Amino acid sequence: MIRKKLALLALLGLFVVPAAQAQIKHIEMRVEGMT
Amino acid sequence: MKQHLGRQSGVQNVEVSLIDGKVEITPKEDGQIDPAQLLAATYDSGVTVAEMDLTAQGKIVKDSSGNLVLQIEPNRTFVLEPNELSKGLESLAGSQAVVTIRGQLYKKPAGKKKPDASARLKLVLLEVQKRQ
Repeated sequence: MIRKKLALLALLGLFVVPAAQAQIKHIEMRVEGMT
Repeated sequence: MKQHLGRQSGVQNVEVSLIDGKVEITPKEDGQIDPAQLLAATYDSGVTVAEMDLTAQGKIVKDSSGNLVLQIEPNRTFVLEPNELSKGLESLAGSQAVVTIRGQLYKKPAGKKKPDASARLKLVLLEVQKRQ
């Protein structure tokens, strides 16, 4: 039973972890006219 | 400008270099940052954006028109401008693979001062940093 739960948890982790990692990490702009 | 950009949603930190006109923005992890909003906010603060690059992590999918798209969240996607690098990502479309890419989201068109807010920003891939 515990093995079954662990396997299910590992399977869920495969889908949840990549979704959690998806994000904008950094934005860089070059601007003109700044004083 | 630093304060104005810092007040936009999803922005954690803004660093401005007066010497080379570089503005670096660190997003919060809440995923609320909107590059198009930042572009507009920068113009509102009285400067012209020459170009905007971003580094992002997400999945590669195809939209209804068959374009390759970087999907960061279900409702946040960037269409990838076709180039040599984007061709290399075609095999990942629809898979669970997460890629980290760096790309140019905006470049000031010659002669235009203000970006067209209605135009959808397309991401020109500059570098594929990581595939997982």
